[in-house]
Amino acid sequence: MIKSSIVTAVLDEALRTGGDFSELYLQDTESNTLSMIDGKVENANYNRKVGAGVRVLSGTRSAYAYTADTSDEALIAAARAAASALKGTKSSEAKSICVERVGRSCAQIPFSEIDNAKRMQLLRTATSAARSQSGEITQVVANFMDVTHRIAVYNSEGVHAEDVRPRTRLSVQAVAMANGEAQTGGVSPGYGMGFEAYRDRIDPSAVGREAAKTAVTMLHAPECPAGAVPVVIDGGFGGVILHEACVHALEATSVGRGNSVFCGKLGQQIASPIVNAVDDGTLPGEWGSMHYDDEGNPAQCNHLIENGILKTYLVDILGSRLMDHPVTGSGRRQNYTFAPTSRMTNTFFAPGQDDEEEMIRTMGSGLFAAKMGGGSVNPLTGEFNFAVSEGYWVKDGKILCPVRGATLIGKGADVLMKIDRIGRRMWMAPGMCGSVSGSIPTNVGQPRIRVSEITVGGKGGAL
Amino acid sequence: MTFEQFKDECFRLALENGCEAAEVYSVSNDGFSVNVLNAEIIKYSVERDNGFNLRVIFGGKSGYAYTEAFEDPESLVAHAIDNAKAIENTDENPMQDSCEYPVIERKPNPVVDLTEDEKINIALNLERDTLAFDDRVNRLGYCAVSTGVSGKHIYNTKGLHADAEEKYSYAVVGPILRQGEEEREAYAFKFGPDVMQYDEIIKESVDNALMQFNAKPVESGEYRVLLRNDVAGDLLQAFSSMFFADRVQKGLSLLAGKKGERIASSAVTILDDPFEKDNPREFDDEGVPSVLTEVVKDGVLQGYLYNLKTALKDGVQSTSNAGRGGASAPVDTAPSNFYIVKGEKSYNELVSELDSGLIITELSGMHAGLNPVSGDFSLIAKGLLVEGGNIIRSVDQITCAGNFISMMTSILAVGSDLRFGIPGFGRFGSPSLLIEKLVIAGK
Repeated sequence: MIKSSIVTAVLDEALRTGGDFSELYLQDTESNTLSMIDGKVENANYNRKVGAGVRVLSGTRSAYAYTADTSDEALIAAARAAASALKGTKSSEAKSICVERVGRSCAQIPFSEIDNAKRMQLLRTATSAARSQSGEITQVVANFMDVTHRIAVYNSEGVHAEDVRPRTRLSVQAVAMANGEAQTGGVSPGYGMGFEAYRDRIDPSAVGREAAKTAVTMLHAPECPAGAVPVVIDGGFGGVILHEACVHALEATSVGRGNSVFCGKLGQQIASPIVNAVDDGTLPGEWGSMHYDDEGNPAQCNHLIENGILKTYLVDILGSRLMDHPVTGSGRRQNYTFAPTSRMTNTFFAPGQDDEEEMIRTMGSGLFAAKMGGGSVNPLTGEFNFAVSEGYWVKDGKILCPVRGATLIGKGADVLMKIDRIGRRMWMAPGMCGSVSGSIPTNVGQPRIRVSEITVGGKGGAL
Repeated sequence: MTFEQFKDECFRLALENGCEAAEVYSVSNDGFSVNVLNAEIIKYSVERDNGFNLRVIFGGKSGYAYTEAFEDPESLVAHAIDNAKAIENTDENPMQDSCEYPVIERKPNPVVDLTEDEKINIALNLERDTLAFDDRVNRLGYCAVSTGVSGKHIYNTKGLHADAEEKYSYAVVGPILRQGEEEREAYAFKFGPDVMQYDEIIKESVDNALMQFNAKPVESGEYRVLLRNDVAGDLLQAFSSMFFADRVQKGLSLLAGKKGERIASSAVTILDDPFEKDNPREFDDEGVPSVLTEVVKDGVLQGYLYNLKTALKDGVQSTSNAGRGGASAPVDTAPSNFYIVKGEKSYNELVSELDSGLIITELSGMHAGLNPVSGDFSLIAKGLLVEGGNIIRSVDQITCAGNFISMMTSILAVGSDLRFGIPGFGRFGSPSLLIEKLVIAGK
């Protein structure tokens, strides 16, 4: 990819003004996207994103320069630009490369061997499955993406790491309309695999049918009642509650500067004793997985919470300096235009002991959140929110009817303590997570869980 | 290869391989930003972006390919042609011909030309002055200054030659305030050439954080609501795609078939104004010369926002609203400066008129708790409880739910305090809006 003499020159130039750590990040990413609307391909796009970023650290100060031009001169200029943030004199030299880490693509069928006809076939199958589910489906939007993300990281501590990360995702959004009202349903599976994902893991017909089913169900659902009630959240994307309500506030990005509700809580009880939570970047073929992170450190399986006790934060190189905590293989960035920071990979509540039916039967009246949308959190206060895309109202332990427009809000530290059931079967679902180092692929997951009380927002009356 | 050589080679190869036309859309950025904390630089970045988005028309269809490496034009053209062949939608894909542009005077921006040290000093002073502004400011969560020069270039084989260059600068401050054990934060931004006059964003962010202390939920129920200008602008932005002809034509907008009908209270007029003085532009992302569009007049829908393709389909002129969601994205629709025209009453008069209800000062989670197809929203909110025209206390841990279309028809009054948000994929503005009722979930 690049001559070693240039690597050394860049890393050394970056240290010229007194930095104690320098890093060169190179990226070459190819992706294909296809969108189908109303059964016809509407857009097809090919993207190649190529560039480099140079980072210099001096203690806990950080400077970053990036360039889309990867010529030798442009890389040196970027190193000089990053170094100009510091005003000192050279105090350390870049070590020659002594640690080689090479992650190879796990794709059995690389995307370069796939043509648009194969991609279109997936969209067509998903679209017609959604259409044939119900006459009330008025529109189907289906999107396909594949990406081959190639990165290389070199740093002044002698590390050279490379990784190739294939990923693909199929998204279907179905719209159901009647009487001037519209409701939508969406399903978007994705994996860190080659095109074999559509042979081994994703059934496009099932994706289309499921999206249509949610849209039609919600079209006939009354508005969700508002209030503080028990809530059962189903597995899979339900794990967004862990992602938002807790793990964002465990990232060095907020903990390292003292801006998290979980600062100073290592070894303390932060969740109900039945809670175990994991962030695991090593799972083969998963959406949030990688061999090495964007700082060249090996991906890890991090046990965040064990029996309710906080065991570790998610820490990148800068975070490890701020917090005096080892790195956890969590340094990630969207692309070369971002300096890396601590981020999640595949984050989930581990399976528990509880019966999935019993938790609804004994909940009294409240909400069963079968499918969750996205959400967000303020790590300083722990205030989170997320949308319920398919919900059911439960009355006296029995499912009464579907309800639309529900939102769950609360404070992370409270909700973790109020988890009183965790089911036995865990599964994951992919999402895109936005933070200071851009938008990155992360999985969320959980078994079905129950929270004894959450504020449910909705605009309906009593049911 | 240089940009010019690469472009010429792509155009030549495209025409030689049977394309009817070819176009390049290129965005460049030369930027600088600095974040400070505790009187030290904690993050400093220098940005050089340059992307090349090729669009070809082949067999009447548009195909795209994007690269940041000016090498291998054969492969780029082949990808674009291949993608054009995949298109099944039969709409025509026009490209803008050579044309004249309105002359726009941009305000000079001397901040961009300051030295890096001078820009760093602005950030350091902003932090110092924020800490000194109020005893309760404990530290800063964020304090940054960014400047740069961005360029947009659209050239095609039909003679279009559109160039625009803009100098930008902004400052962001996010103080964290502490009172007893409670911590609260708020952010404020200032865009444009006068970032050095940052006093107003210090006051705004500190005031916004202060008003959150001792907040608690209210009882669930229906409330009269005053949406503060910034919150109203955020909601308008989130639902703006309802006004795109593209979404209407695709059956993804509830405003389909509503042209000429009342869709909002008669107090509401909405404009898309590419000439708005603080963020003007000569042309859109297809190189179409800017025009002013009245979208809603006195509550009646006048029309939709068009690019060349959707305009041709409806037999109208483009409203100069082609937009691309980034350098590598295909042509879509985007507003320019899209806003609700201001009314007569000041914010304080609206608070009196609210009488009893809630002022909503923050809505979050718009990417999830809001659906532009159905118009429904259910969002976490912060605000102030008002009784008898007086602010009683702060409110948090509530949700605010409604439907955008029914909300627009139940606007009782539009304030005189028009405010624009952060420019991005379009720029959105609104005055404060007094709403008859929204549903609040709390206790």
